[in-house]
This record gives sequence, C-alpha cells and structure tokens, in this order.
Amino acid sequence: MGKLQLYEVFARRQRADRFEHIGCVEAPSSDLGRVYAWQTYDEAKWFEMIVAPRDAFHCVNRAEQPFTLHPSEEALT
Amino acid sequence: MARFTDEELMRKVQEGFIVESEADMTETYKKALIGQLTVQGDTELMSAPAYFMAAKDAPSTNTMVSATAIIQDELGHANIAYRLLEDLGVSRDELLYERPPARFKNPYGFDQPLVNWAELVTANGLYDRAGITLLGDVHRHTSYGPLKRGLVKVGMEENFHLRHGEVWMRRLCEAGGEARDMVQHAVDWMFPMGVEWFGMPDEKKHHNAQLDFKLKGMTNDQLRQTWLKAVVPLCDELAIDVPAHMNPDTEQIELEFEFPVQYDPGAKRWLFDEPITWDQVWDRWRARGPMNEEFVESVRRSRLSVEKMLAA
Repeated sequence: MGKLQLYEVFARRQRADRFEHIGCVEAPSSDLGRVYAWQTYDEAKWFEMIVAPRDAFHCVNRAEQPFTLHPSEEALT
Repeated sequence: MARFTDEELMRKVQEGFIVESEADMTETYKKALIGQLTVQGDTELMSAPAYFMAAKDAPSTNTMVSATAIIQDELGHANIAYRLLEDLGVSRDELLYERPPARFKNPYGFDQPLVNWAELVTANGLYDRAGITLLGDVHRHTSYGPLKRGLVKVGMEENFHLRHGEVWMRRLCEAGGEARDMVQHAVDWMFPMGVEWFGMPDEKKHHNAQLDFKLKGMTNDQLRQTWLKAVVPLCDELAIDVPAHMNPDTEQIELEFEFPVQYDPGAKRWLFDEPITWDQVWDRWRARGPMNEEFVESVRRSRLSVEKMLAA
C-alpha cells in the first residue's frame, strides 16, 4: 500500500456537459482512488468520472492553493 | 488569516460574500465552522452503525440491499464533512480513531439502539427529516463555498432516505396489527428525540456564531418548527399518535408535553411527568446513550481488522 494521497473527483452526467468538481477522496493509489470515487459519489448515473491527484493542480491567478489546500499539506507537496 | 476582522467578515457574509479558503476566515469563523462540520460528520458517521443494527432485521434481501445503500450513503456524507475538516487542518485519524467515544458530537438519538425494521424506517422518516431540515438550511445559507458544493450530493441522497422511511412507515401502518403497533412504538420514543435534536430554544441561546457568520440561516426554534410541520402531518395522515398538534390560529405546531423532559434509555420511554432544565438535558447528553461506545467501536473495527490482516 502506498502513501495516502488526495484525489480530486470530477464528473459529468452526459456528453457535451462540462466536467464538474464533485468532491475528493483519499487513497493509497490512483486505482483505489478511482474505486473510492466511483463508490462514494454514486448520487448520479455519470457519463464520465475522472480523478487526479490534488497536487497536480496549480493555481493560475490567485495566491492561495486551489481546493482550499491547507498550509500543512502544502508543505508536504 | 486576518484578512478581515470578525465584524467585517460578519458584515460581508451577511451581504453575500462566500468564504473559499482559510485566507478569507477569522479564527472565530474557523472555530465555528469546525464545530459545525464535526457535528455534521459525527452525526452522519454514527447513523451508520445505528442503521446497520436495525438493518439486520430487514424483511427480505431487497430491503436489506436498500438499507445497506442508505448506510453507504451516510458514510459518504461523513467523508465529505471530515474531508472539509482535514482541509482546515483537523486530523481525520485523530477524530475517528483517537477520540474517546463520549467526545463524538452526534445527537443523543444515535446513541440509542435501533432494534427492528420499524425503528429503522421510522428513523429514516424522522431523523433523516431532521437531517434534511438542518442541512437543507445550511446548503441554502452557508457562507462557506466548499460546504455549499459538498451538500449537493448529501441533499439528493437524504431525500431518498426520507422517501424510504415514509413509504415504509405507510406500508407498515396500512398492514395494521403488529406492524402498525411497531411504528407507533417507534414514534413514541423517537418523536420527542427529534424535537430535542434541534437543541436549546432560542430564548435560552443568546449568542450564535453560526448565525452571525451565516454558517446557517435559521434558528433552532425555526428549524424545529420546520421539522414539526413535516412530521406531525405525516403521523396524522398515518393515524399514528404524536403529542403535538397544529394551532390553527398561529399556524404553528404546539407540543402537548412540557419540553424538555427526562428520558429513560433502558425502557426507551420519555418521562412526560418529569420536566427538566436544559442543564439536565446537557448532563444526559454528556453521559451518553447506551450504544455510544459500541457504535464507535464498530466503525473502528473494520480498519483495525484489515490492518491486522495485512500485518499477518
């Protein structure tokens, strides 16, 4: 098992929809992140769901990190 | 931190400002938000073992599956609240695995055993209604953006739980006989539990940071009345007795017992001839209900056993 990492979850209901940020899961690998996301965010019949590690996101126009990244986590990434 | 003073932030959120990160918060705001999210997460989490206990009495495979789906939803909702807490620097591990059970902040109702299918569906009908009332208000009014977004999923799923509860309460009542009596018995102890769920009356509560910072929109009494206006007509329609009625002059639901009153958890019975003070209610809550330790232990058990399995 790897180190726990945060994965941001995005999904869209239908073709042509935009992806929406719907939540976040913590998992020891991207495969388990995919499983946890699919199991946790089952409130809709999603056409497409994707996950990406939180630290893959970089803010473009603001000083704060996206997804309200806590300073103590910032230090880890 | 300290981009604004408390007074500035209060004014801004009342005018519609949405807080998105810690940089927008004051210490007071953050503390009130952490308190609110802890209650929310703990309530969702501890509903799972309570519902699971009763789900074992499910009358068929299909009904067991729907009960299990509800339990899984509740765990997902707890995850949302705890994840938001982690983003505020709170350790989920500490919250879940290191807190003494008595420090969990779930309502007293989820410290009680749910022993049969009628109690499960009545809990869905009454307690999930309380959840929708409280979280629906937070969803509409909260000044914290990440929570407002997180509650979209919660709202959809809680409505499914509520429907499950109401449909099954109706089904059992229509069946009559023992099935109907079991719903009446469940409502007898759960209805006053629901009334108490919303906390101290407004007249006793002078200062409320959650309202000042717009972490919620309605007061305890307004929320309690909203819940009563849904639950009392439902029970009336099902011919289930509740100690409350609508006053046609004020269009408010009035309780027919002195509130608050003492509760005997062993007998699952409210002592309506024993009115108490809110200090005594707090004492009872702090002393915790009979299932507190066992329910907390049960949500911890699976991780501990997986760890043991992996270590072997």
